[in-house]
Amino acid sequence: MPTDLPLARFTIVEVTDSGVPLCLRLATSLAAKIAADLGADVLKIEPPGGDAVRTLPPLLPAGASALFQFLNTSKRSLVLDLGTERGRAHLVKLLDRADACLFEEPAAIAALARAGKATPIEIAAFPVEMNAAARPVSELAIQALGGLMHMIGEPERKPLKLGGHQASYAAGLTAFTGLTAALAGRDAGQAAPKVRVSLTEVMQWVNWKAASGAAATGVSPGREGRRSEFQIVPCRDGHVAVVYTVTQWPATRALIGDPRLENPKFATRAGRRTHIAELYDIITPWFADKTRAEIQKTAQAKGVPFGPIFTPAELLKAEQYVARGFLAEMTAPDIGKVLIPQLPVQWNGRSFAPRPAPSLGSKELGRKELAA
Amino acid sequence: MKGPLSGVRVLDFGLLTAGANTSAMLGDLGAEVLKIESGAYLDPFRVVGKMDDDDGWWNRSPQFRFTNRNKRGLALNLKSPDGQRVIRELAAHCDVVVENFRRGVLDRAGLGYEAMKAVNPRIVFAAISSQGDTGPERMNVSFGSTLDATSGIASLTGYRGEQPRISGMDVNYPDQIVSLFATGIVITAVMEARRSGKGAFLDFSQREVASFTLGEEILAASANPSHTLAPRDNGAQQDAYRCKDGRWMAVTHDEPGLAAWCANQNRDDAVAALLARGIAAAPCNDGSDLLSNQDLAGVTLVRDEHGGLVKGLPYRLDGKGITIERAAPDLGQHTDEVLRELLGYGDAELARLKISGVTSTTPTVGDV
Repeated sequence: MPTDLPLARFTIVEVTDSGVPLCLRLATSLAAKIAADLGADVLKIEPPGGDAVRTLPPLLPAGASALFQFLNTSKRSLVLDLGTERGRAHLVKLLDRADACLFEEPAAIAALARAGKATPIEIAAFPVEMNAAARPVSELAIQALGGLMHMIGEPERKPLKLGGHQASYAAGLTAFTGLTAALAGRDAGQAAPKVRVSLTEVMQWVNWKAASGAAATGVSPGREGRRSEFQIVPCRDGHVAVVYTVTQWPATRALIGDPRLENPKFATRAGRRTHIAELYDIITPWFADKTRAEIQKTAQAKGVPFGPIFTPAELLKAEQYVARGFLAEMTAPDIGKVLIPQLPVQWNGRSFAPRPAPSLGSKELGRKELAA
Repeated sequence: MKGPLSGVRVLDFGLLTAGANTSAMLGDLGAEVLKIESGAYLDPFRVVGKMDDDDGWWNRSPQFRFTNRNKRGLALNLKSPDGQRVIRELAAHCDVVVENFRRGVLDRAGLGYEAMKAVNPRIVFAAISSQGDTGPERMNVSFGSTLDATSGIASLTGYRGEQPRISGMDVNYPDQIVSLFATGIVITAVMEARRSGKGAFLDFSQREVASFTLGEEILAASANPSHTLAPRDNGAQQDAYRCKDGRWMAVTHDEPGLAAWCANQNRDDAVAALLARGIAAAPCNDGSDLLSNQDLAGVTLVRDEHGGLVKGLPYRLDGKGITIERAAPDLGQHTDEVLRELLGYGDAELARLKISGVTSTTPTVGDV
């Protein structure tokens, strides 16, 4: 373990208890992974059968889970059967020595983790006020409850979720920041705050413009689809998101170069929104014979922020990501050679290369850890 | 304010959400936040949220007020040598700088990391930009959903078999998640600076933060060129359904006849029945639903002293949210107060800065 990393002096326990909803597990694992990549000694406690995420898609050609690999870099794995007295006693001993413990509200050991010497960082599905620790939950349900789905899609068609595990991951980022706040408190010799993160609160916090908009105007913003000023248009090799600010409209109009856009009805934002179908009828053909690369280049030259749509596979070759070294090479026997996104920060120009996720903890490691 | 960051002072050049909210989150943990604007360049949220043309319109934007609570506000002209000198003097008394200007703006004003480090080697300088501080696209412009597209998130979002989708201007998702990560890294660097006496330059790319949320897909694609994305939609064995009362709900469950069953129930009844069967179901809430349900809101919404709705916390510390000790600042509201308190400026110096236009309380921009 490199000792010059910023969190190298901290020990963190991540409890992977069995039977916890997966959307909570992903959040916990992401928070602990960020700390581990920053040098913290993260002990991932797994049940004898291992974290259920070890088998979840997407899978790598050799069968290992890419999801597990991404979420568990730089950690150590330790198997404990928390269903037994002995396993729980071992956990308490570990918590005596650790700085923080990440766990989920529905876990059987939650009361034990809250009472330990390590500062508890608790991941839950719902706010305390809902009193709903046992309520069934999923990523989709959180995106619905927090109002995000209401914002995406066509107004007359079904609401859509945002792609990926956004409810889990936004909560994971939040839990990481809560964890650092707790560590900073301990570091300063204060009583560190106990942290509780619920996926539902994080989703609403992220989607704040829905509540703010409803409070300011009495009407909630919602999905606008084809009525939105920002739409997706097809081009020669894919799609582009049309995006521009009010002040960038003249440059956008000049870029497209169609004289019909000079019509005063398109001069103001309100006018463009009223005549949005007609506006898109005029601009869409401009994209059809151009590639995403050509569109981005000519648009950026005029200061227009059109966004070419890339897939994750295309991002492997994105010039900017290659130049910045955002994707690190990582090799391990069970995964082969892969590229993995590093933490999205450069610290005095330094990146934090992740180490491969651990295989399921051995008993040897267990004895060594517990002997301390 | 008490908290793990009490004693930490933040010089906040943050604009809109990505920067301004990172400083706000540091403030939520006990740091003292000094927001720096200029009469010639307001936080764009003051303009985007313009409600009327009456005098003082720049102090009434709901979006600005939502994000910048619990900060003091200074207006100093970044383009004048005097304004730049005052800011460098302030930096000597601060622990953290947060900025999300276009690359090069602060360097040109003599206020970049190297200049700040020269007056304060302990300074932690968080530079948040759309593409990062290096690389061929560092000067690229972007706005909110540009990054839905270029990060990969849009390619996973949409109706099955149709084109990709973005989160759109009422969400601008990539702007919202940056501060959740950046705040934790800034705290880590503050701990390191307290220990070692050395600050850090933290270079955040918002596009990278958004792509990071698709880490497993990037990893899978790198290992297998023929790896295909799951079809765009609401996921396997789950979907959104319209109920009898016309309202939508989301259900993580698949069973023949489910859509028809939903269409014959009112939404709240359907959600309750499914939950009773152990199935994850939830209403597709809108902003008004979020406003009216305080149990659901948890600690995410708070009222300021004027009764205005402002941003709360994404988490709770020791079971609590935050209280609002001061509403978002009017433009330049605390300039004189802070310059007296931190730099010991007197009446004559403050008057001189005002007359020369270095400080102000009104925008010098024209109509917006």
